[in-house]
Amino acid sequence: MSMDWKSYKPLLLPNIKNLHQIDVYEKNGGYDSLKDVLKNKDGKWAKDNVTNEVKSAGLRGRGGAGFNTGLKWSFMPKPDGGPRYIAANGDESEPGTFKDRQIFEYNPHLFIEGAVIAAYAMTVNAVYVYIRGEYRSWIQKLQNAVDEAYKKGYLGKNILGSGVDIDLYLHSGAGAYICGEESSLMESLEGKRGYPRLKPPFPAQKGLWGRPTTINNIETLSNVPFIIKNGADWYSNLGAAKHPGPVLYGISGHVNKPGVYEFPTGMPIMTLINEVAGGVRNGKKVKAVVPGGSSTPVLRADQLEGLTMDAESLREAGSMMGTAGLCVLDEDTDMIDFLWRITHFYHHESCGQCTPCREGTGWLEKLLLKIKNGEGEYRDLDILLDLCTQMEGRTICALADAAAWPVRYTISRFRDEFEARCKKTIYATA
Amino acid sequence: MPEIFIDGNRLEYEKPQKVLQFMLDHGLELPFFCYHPSLSIPANCRQCMVQAGTPVFNKEKNEYEKDENGERKIRFFPKLMTACSLDMSDGMVIKTHRTSDLVKRAQKDNLEFILINHPLDCPICDQAGECPLQIQTYKYGPEGSRFEFKKVHKPKRIKLGPRVTLDAERCINCTRCVRFCNEISKSNQLTIISRGDKNYPATAPGREFDDPYSVNTVDICPVGALTSSDFRFKARVWELNQTPGIDITNAKGTNVDLWTRNNLVMRITPRYNPEVNDYWMADAGREAYRLFNENRVSKPEIRLDGDNTTKTTWNNALETFVEQISSHAADEILVIGSPHASLEDNYILSKFFNKIGVNDVYYTPHIEEGAGDNFLLTDDQAPNTLGINYLDFTESDDLARQLSSNKVKIVVILNDNLLDRSAVTKEALKGKYVISLATNNSEMTNASDLVIPVTCAAEHDASYVSIDGRIQRTFPAKETVYTNRSINPEMGISRLDRYGTKFDNWISDQNKIDCIPAWEFFVRVSYRMNLDLDYTESREIMAEISSAFPVFEGISYERMDEENGVQLPSLKETEINPA
Repeated sequence: MSMDWKSYKPLLLPNIKNLHQIDVYEKNGGYDSLKDVLKNKDGKWAKDNVTNEVKSAGLRGRGGAGFNTGLKWSFMPKPDGGPRYIAANGDESEPGTFKDRQIFEYNPHLFIEGAVIAAYAMTVNAVYVYIRGEYRSWIQKLQNAVDEAYKKGYLGKNILGSGVDIDLYLHSGAGAYICGEESSLMESLEGKRGYPRLKPPFPAQKGLWGRPTTINNIETLSNVPFIIKNGADWYSNLGAAKHPGPVLYGISGHVNKPGVYEFPTGMPIMTLINEVAGGVRNGKKVKAVVPGGSSTPVLRADQLEGLTMDAESLREAGSMMGTAGLCVLDEDTDMIDFLWRITHFYHHESCGQCTPCREGTGWLEKLLLKIKNGEGEYRDLDILLDLCTQMEGRTICALADAAAWPVRYTISRFRDEFEARCKKTIYATA
Repeated sequence: MPEIFIDGNRLEYEKPQKVLQFMLDHGLELPFFCYHPSLSIPANCRQCMVQAGTPVFNKEKNEYEKDENGERKIRFFPKLMTACSLDMSDGMVIKTHRTSDLVKRAQKDNLEFILINHPLDCPICDQAGECPLQIQTYKYGPEGSRFEFKKVHKPKRIKLGPRVTLDAERCINCTRCVRFCNEISKSNQLTIISRGDKNYPATAPGREFDDPYSVNTVDICPVGALTSSDFRFKARVWELNQTPGIDITNAKGTNVDLWTRNNLVMRITPRYNPEVNDYWMADAGREAYRLFNENRVSKPEIRLDGDNTTKTTWNNALETFVEQISSHAADEILVIGSPHASLEDNYILSKFFNKIGVNDVYYTPHIEEGAGDNFLLTDDQAPNTLGINYLDFTESDDLARQLSSNKVKIVVILNDNLLDRSAVTKEALKGKYVISLATNNSEMTNASDLVIPVTCAAEHDASYVSIDGRIQRTFPAKETVYTNRSINPEMGISRLDRYGTKFDNWISDQNKIDCIPAWEFFVRVSYRMNLDLDYTESREIMAEISSAFPVFEGISYERMDEENGVQLPSLKETEINPA
């Protein structure tokens, strides 16, 4: 598919001026999907049909885990008359990820439309949008869009005369990475300390305030309107077969033109770096790429050839799609410094609930700082890998895994560099 | 019946529980910190990890799938599971450290993590000796640590409130204290602040942790992070002797343990009784240890004239009592029983005076309106009000009026500070001969002409009836001059009590009080007055009470010990006091 990427017309962030204004959005076919759905709510677009359409489109969550979105929606129990919620996750605090804010800024109504369709499909009356607190101006931008949508009757009571009531509220985070984890996001929304919850019960059974809740990423929900408009078949033919659809690639690091670029899934990584992002700075070579946010295992340059950005291909290569926030590292990068900075982040952001993560993240950072300062010994590398084993899969949420994977894979893929740093000390002190 | 296989052993169960609780109920040990049977399950310490699997059920054949050896095929969870939060299911297979090296390793790893930022100051830590972290580290922990960096430093000696002191460095963030405040005492005063390895519990800024149940958090803290401000640095737990008892500061009948050393009660902690107090007790009850140790009446006291009193011998005290009682007519004697004294003492008091013709024994309840809550505090400040009601004592609505009658020449008061709680005034007692049987010095003993020192709840075995109609008994925890641990099997004996010598720091005779049980005093008096009142043990008195009063039918010390207290039948007023 990668042949025609240059002629690809963006869907999430189309190149239309002032699209964030509701008039412009409507003029360009905005809210048509919603109107279509609500008009045919007793026929073609009955609630289950919307869910099934999204399911068969193969839309996979864009927040990192890549779970089938329609399938997730179908986990919601039958309505019992009580409240049900959608929590839209716009916390976006994974380092190297900055895609949702483009949606808030350039196409907020697409997200609102998607959220309303999702809420309709799951019989939800309240959508909470949890936005990263640092996104001050984007919160304002989305709020403006929400106000416009209320005025035009796309939100609120009796939407477009269909009898469907859906409200959408904004809630800003207070700066904790962990609140992007779906269960601590719910705790945070409830006004509690952002500690991840124990599963089961899963959010679809007991979510916000103990009621059925679905948590979706902002970008995920923004995909919904054009699945409705163009159909599941059309959507599933976009990009990689098992991981279809458009994706916002956030490319950062040592490239000439860093930024957010929209292309279908399955883009070759080298194409993204060399052609989309204008190649590595100062004509240097790529040393490594972090494909999907800081917690995804780093890939060596020699692993990149022929590698495409989709879940299957990246899994084979020993990494993950994550949030599709690529971070490109050039040949001058000190991998020890790089890894230390990542462990510093996870040490700072561990919520401290579970023992292995609370204590392990700090220990990882201390060991890496020691190696970085040239005081490391060989056995420190073994301890680092040991600690990863001690942390992985032994905590309530995935933060311990997210902290351990970069360490495990950076050391195993760049071990010679780490050993070289350790060796020097031995010579120097001997 | 559904079954579960733990380390290869088949166990049956009726109702599915959490695996950890089921194991604990069956005496199977598994290390854990954050789990507490009365609190919600956060599964945050990650210490109770086990390998768990379920058999593969073939729906078409309607049977479990078998492997090549004919054994059930087990599908194990991909990750280790925390036993505390894992629900049992039929045919589940659990592997603990006894059979799984993976689990053994995980427990070791987790303890290594917990200990890297723990100060390891056991030698000066109050929790040492009863510390789950210490015990489990010895049992399941690594031999050493590979951590060679500076530990994270956090605040120490934080006064969270009037009764609780926090050492944040020792905290392992199990959140038991936070959950206690949220779920049990419902004061919501504690939370965890900060993040990651800087976490520790704290109150909101400017607020105090003054929850009336705050010290329970000290009991449930699995490390020495929360310590009792009062007990801190006073004693090592392995020097203490632990004796069961009852909280005597209110009518709830909270079950407690009295911890003594050298015949001083050092602290009082709750004793588990799901029928009364679960694992908890009110802070006020813990303060009662002072009543047992301080300001005690030791040796009888007699008034010479005016304000002069002196200690005297038992012989003199007994003779004086006999003289006073025999020189007055029955209607000149006012006898006041006490809701603060035991059933046995009150019963013998009333029996003795019945024998000399005094038929009515009065008492005033000790009520403080508003002191109670719906949990473990009651308006009733005495431990035995219901008990003496059952004994046919007459509640006096106006003691002052009864005292003002010129007829009354002698007032006998069983251990009750009527003056201190303004049930009577000093003026009303003027001109009467006041005999007090008392445990502690007070306004009441100061105003008495004869003070007989009697044993307190920490020194005798005696029973009390709680406000909910539960009869429970105490055990002697500290010795008096006349009792001896080594010959009284009711008394607890600590290592120090058993092996200590006069050369030890904590062995002396100085804390033994010269007092006798109130019932024993009346037995001795009866002997001098040729009355038939002969008992050698308080359990004999209980036996007599149980045959004399229908409400106490079938009650004995043995039964109370067996059943951890007995719920009395709830009788109507007429049945309790048959006409």
